Amino acid sequence: MTAATTVGLTGITKKYHGTTALDAIDLSFEPGITGLLGPNGAGKTTLLRIIATVLSPDAGKVRLLGRTPATPDELAQVRRRLGYQPQEMGFPRAFTGFGFVDYMAVLKEWTARAARHDEVRRVLDLVDLGDVATKRVRNLSGGQRRRIALAQAMLGDPDLMLLDEPTTGVDPEQRVSLRQVLSRAGERSTVLLSTHQTEDVAALCDRVVVLDQGRVRFDGAVRDLVATAAGRVWMADAPDPAARASWRTGTGSHRNVGETAPPGAELAEPTLEDAYLLLLGDRALTTEVAA
Amino acid sequence: MNVSWHADDDLLTRYVSGTVGPLDGASLEQHLTGCADCRVRIATHVDVAPLELVWSRVREQAQAPAPTLVERLLTGLGVSASDARLVAVTPSLRTSWLFGLAATLGFVGLGAAYGGTRGLTFFLLVAPLVPVAGVAFAYGPDVDPLYEVGVAVPYSGARLLLLRTAAVLVTSLPLVLASALLLPGLSWTAVTWLLPALSFTALVLAASTWTRPTFAAVGLGIAWACAVGAAALDRDPYAVLAPTALLVYAVTGIAAVLILRLRIRRLTPLGSLS
Repeated sequence: MTAATTVGLTGITKKYHGTTALDAIDLSFEPGITGLLGPNGAGKTTLLRIIATVLSPDAGKVRLLGRTPATPDELAQVRRRLGYQPQEMGFPRAFTGFGFVDYMAVLKEWTARAARHDEVRRVLDLVDLGDVATKRVRNLSGGQRRRIALAQAMLGDPDLMLLDEPTTGVDPEQRVSLRQVLSRAGERSTVLLSTHQTEDVAALCDRVVVLDQGRVRFDGAVRDLVATAAGRVWMADAPDPAARASWRTGTGSHRNVGETAPPGAELAEPTLEDAYLLLLGDRALTTEVAA
Repeated sequence: MNVSWHADDDLLTRYVSGTVGPLDGASLEQHLTGCADCRVRIATHVDVAPLELVWSRVREQAQAPAPTLVERLLTGLGVSASDARLVAVTPSLRTSWLFGLAATLGFVGLGAAYGGTRGLTFFLLVAPLVPVAGVAFAYGPDVDPLYEVGVAVPYSGARLLLLRTAAVLVTSLPLVLASALLLPGLSWTAVTWLLPALSFTALVLAASTWTRPTFAAVGLGIAWACAVGAAALDRDPYAVLAPTALLVYAVTGIAAVLILRLRIRRLTPLGSLS
């Protein structure tokens, strides 16, 4: 662990009613954006909840922002510098977007009204929701609600941002503008981003951690994960029954991700998605291709 | 539009500062509607700071939510505006909850007034549980849609729970007291139910340092229903408010408060949600 380490996890284990969600995880994170990839139930959300201090591990040590939060005071110190967007978030009925972010800002100790409202406007503008701030959250689209949830995680420019699927349900145009916001945040803060979208990871992250069945299957640079698929992705006129995955692309030829070259195939440039499919095999298929 | 002239800097400065004469001013305004170049140039003469201030005030007026009735009431009582904000969203302080509560208590009170022993039993069953239900529906993962995200903030969960409990007691106890006035022949029962009510509330609060407040409230509700039911079967519903019973409530209530004092800082530590 170096001085820049903001999150240090050693031997983190969490079980729910006998099933192991996380199995002795060792990970550490530094400023920059890290993508967390993995099929449903891989343990991504559990991991983010533990780092967000809302869930305690059954075993293992959590070190956050230079502290080992054990007492309520230390916890509060850590939480002052932390922004968390949970995977699912309900909104009280009557709340407007502004009212909701304002409520969260009060919980984050912005007690002076004028400064708090300025900060609320700043984060709402960041996620492009300044114009609909007076609408009730219930009347906003799913993508807009995700962005509201992201806005509250950015209050006060936290040193550690934990985002559980921030881009789910967000339309492509907004996704691009969110990427700009997140990449700017990642220049200074430690951003952990769990997602199902390999494109988001490829576009944003320097580092990717692939979780599967509560274990770390890959941890390294995105380009290193992509490189593992080199020489294993083929374009051919027909689907290859031996391939891990095979689908007909828009150009009419078939993309085959597998170990061996089908007859008459040409090698193709691998993507992060190909590498992810090869790493996890059939379990990746159940969520990634179906989704 | 064909433009034959352009405004000079002197004219623009005088217009912006308001010292231009009416004729020149009207002429410039007419010109500006048709000349994009001069519109760009006049913009450089305008000091934007006051405009931005006005715009931010307009946004503040339009966007900042108006304080609700509960918030205004609380700030009137001396609660800080930001604390009032946190209390006002409590599910069991919504107007719908309070109306439902008032209606229920109206029925229960009328039942107690005219329904004989059965009506009285019903009152004894409901009255002490009203604040307990209010507290259980004020905080925790079952009732607060923002609970999970609310744990990961520096604001103390203990403080939030106590604030909301106080607000629930302040709103619900007067309603129950009012319905108790309907009891026949104003007896001590009209107030002695307060003791189990407060004792149970303290028990739910103490239990919420281990488990969800809703679980604790349901358990207590069942136990209380059994006690009241057993007393009613003995044809003596008042037995649950007999002096020895009152002593038991007092002792458990004090014990619960002591436990709460010891443990309240553990309310939202790591692991409160699973």
